[in-house]
Amino acid sequence: MRKLNIDVFRYNPLDPESKPHMQTFVLDETPSMTLFIALTQIRETIDPTLMFDFCCRAGICGSCGMVINGRPGLACSTQTKDLPDHIVLQPLPFFKLLGDLSVDTGTWFRQAWERIESWIHTDKTFDPNEEEERMDNELANEIFELDRCIECGCCVAACGTALMRKDFLGATSINRLARFYIDPRDHRTEEDFYEIIGDDNGVFGCMGLLACEDVCPKKIPLQDQLGIMRRMTALQSVRGIVPKFLLDRLSPRRCGCSCSEQHND
Amino acid sequence: MTSPSIRKHTDNAPVVVPSRLDIIQAITGVLLILFLWAHVFLVSSVIISPALMNGIADFFERTYMAQIGGPLVLLLIVYHFLIAARKMPFRASEFMTFWRNARSLRHKDTWLWVVQVVTAIVILVMASIHIYVVLSTLPITAEQSASRVQGGWLPFFLILLPMAELHLGIGFYRLGVKYGYITRASRHVWQRNEYVLTGIFILIGLLTLVRFMLLTN
Repeated sequence: MRKLNIDVFRYNPLDPESKPHMQTFVLDETPSMTLFIALTQIRETIDPTLMFDFCCRAGICGSCGMVINGRPGLACSTQTKDLPDHIVLQPLPFFKLLGDLSVDTGTWFRQAWERIESWIHTDKTFDPNEEEERMDNELANEIFELDRCIECGCCVAACGTALMRKDFLGATSINRLARFYIDPRDHRTEEDFYEIIGDDNGVFGCMGLLACEDVCPKKIPLQDQLGIMRRMTALQSVRGIVPKFLLDRLSPRRCGCSCSEQHND
Repeated sequence: MTSPSIRKHTDNAPVVVPSRLDIIQAITGVLLILFLWAHVFLVSSVIISPALMNGIADFFERTYMAQIGGPLVLLLIVYHFLIAARKMPFRASEFMTFWRNARSLRHKDTWLWVVQVVTAIVILVMASIHIYVVLSTLPITAEQSASRVQGGWLPFFLILLPMAELHLGIGFYRLGVKYGYITRASRHVWQRNEYVLTGIFILIGLLTLVRFMLLTN
């Protein structure tokens, strides 16, 4: 059984005496131990003042995002057996620090969702007595695939662009909008989507670093969605200049998946 | 519940500048890729025969493609640099943030972008010198190029060649990624293709340099 040396970032912004520093905790590793279990053990047996967020313990709520040995990830779905003896835990950058490993992702996500108008835009009036509109199962799955985002903030915290430029919408927002783009119930046109993300704070700010793609704990196809939305938006701005047949050829299909190969599999 | 959209209430036409700049960055990049491939191939004709290279050079000069094309390529390089440099971390805080993140993440594609920034600046300076020197000493001949390489310019090309090919290979891959042509499914294949492509062009360039080193009048 290994002894784990866990270095944890400690700082309480509300306490004037508190200075940011790293504190080392030593723990005995147990079978199937996750970082969430380790942190809970530290809080229960060593230091009850340790602050970190958790809720579901199963990679669903997105609360326990933190920087694990340099990379953003979820504490609850990271097993200590996959890490070396020396583990360094830091709070996610980019978001407001609440204390130790706890950050406020909610405020940022709220304003991001408002900026991209993250809801179905339709002129239809909802009739509760009407039969529910049917949707093709394949399309429903494609929408669900993008809807799986748990808003943990790992993609934004790993993004060099977002860290440098605080107004950048980040992969999660563009993926969120891609979800509405393929939803036939949303009546927004390409032009409407262009107005939301067609600038350097939106899809053209993305530098293709792909850290979002590589750290996403839910393995959401962020790379593909960024590509689809960038191409769609770029083509939108040259409508009328580039011949229509060429635009149609270059345009990504308005579906959740970027390439025909995946459909044929 | 429907909320009114603020954006919808403005009559202004959407701003197309950021998008078109991104497209211009892509197109100038592709043009420069095509140019450099053609350039490396044409100069490497010296490996087959110096006479062949001289013939090709003569054709490009008699049609004025070298005299006019050269400055145009330089203009394209500067233009491409200016547009792409909008994303560079020029402010100290931006630079430190990016550097800290890259070091902490240990993530290949993030580092590839750092390589792009560094090579871009080196290429901007060295390609300008290269174009000026070649165009101010026309005609282009295998003999003259050989005497230049043998006369102390070898280190210059040994730096410019890998810098340009790296920038080109990584740029090609990243362009595919950004515009969704290289997908999650094909990313690893394309990353390997990018290494192979870069390697092949560096090899052709090195062979050309070796040929120039061995060429005697």
